[in-house]
Amino acid sequence: MNAERIYRLLLRAYPRDFRAEYGREMMLVFRDQCEESDVRTVGFWAAVICDVARSAPALRVEATRTAEVIMKLAAMLTVLLGAYDIVSAVVEWVAGSKGAIDGTYVLAVVLGVFASVLLLGAGVAILLRTPWSRQAARLALVASLVMTLAARLLFPWMSIFSQLIGFGLPVGLLIALYWPRRPSTVRPA
Amino acid sequence: MGTKRRADRPPEAYLPLPPATFHILLALADGELHGYAIMKGVAARSEGTVRLGPGTLYGSLKRLLEAGLVEEGGERADPERGDERRRYYRLTPLGLSVVRAEARRLDAMVRAARRKKLIGERPA
Repeated sequence: MNAERIYRLLLRAYPRDFRAEYGREMMLVFRDQCEESDVRTVGFWAAVICDVARSAPALRVEATRTAEVIMKLAAMLTVLLGAYDIVSAVVEWVAGSKGAIDGTYVLAVVLGVFASVLLLGAGVAILLRTPWSRQAARLALVASLVMTLAARLLFPWMSIFSQLIGFGLPVGLLIALYWPRRPSTVRPA
Repeated sequence: MGTKRRADRPPEAYLPLPPATFHILLALADGELHGYAIMKGVAARSEGTVRLGPGTLYGSLKRLLEAGLVEEGGERADPERGDERRRYYRLTPLGLSVVRAEARRLDAMVRAARRKKLIGERPA
């Protein structure tokens, strides 16, 4: 099996669209490299395999845009759950207002509503994808977390589901937004 | 509502550049080149310390084309490399601005390192 046939096999590691667009040129360049190097050496093939191993997975991830899709879905879920929380807080308020209202409960509901609004705002900011949206989303999520914590302290009977949304969602999104991005792409900040 | 057009973003918004990207833009600053010429130019300029494989090279070129920093300059044969038609690439005005901005950024870092005597004085 000659060098070009081996490289043609290695090219299958790349996404199909990328191969269709650049495969011919990559083969040309590989042929040029073969003319100027000794293809019988381990060093030559180690460099070739390292290049494929380093570049092909990143291009596959970019092709599927997995991280972006997940972030978009998480942001949409955040918007929906934020809206749900606001509605359920209002319903609780209406139901609670039929009897005597405890001031602490009122404050907890108000904090819960604000936390939900901030959560909804963070989701919208992530979906907008403007230069300032990531920072705005981070601030909104931190504020939402603080308000949910305050509401939980004031109202220890907060439902498990509300606590999961109130704590879990902001923490998860903050981790995703603060996760260091490898400078493997050329995109404006 | 929506993202700013690419042309409206300042060159500094693209910094810092990944090393391979900077080397490719630097190679193209001399004029249109095809892939293998870019690869050779990068290896020569870096004195062999940076060697781009075809995957890294064309992956970077794809991203640079999408970002509008590089554009295709047509296909033609390189007389020195046979009859095969090769795709040429060149910097866009934005790409030139970006590579200049990155060079200024790196120069500022080198000057800061020299002030702290971490590296020697600029050679004459």
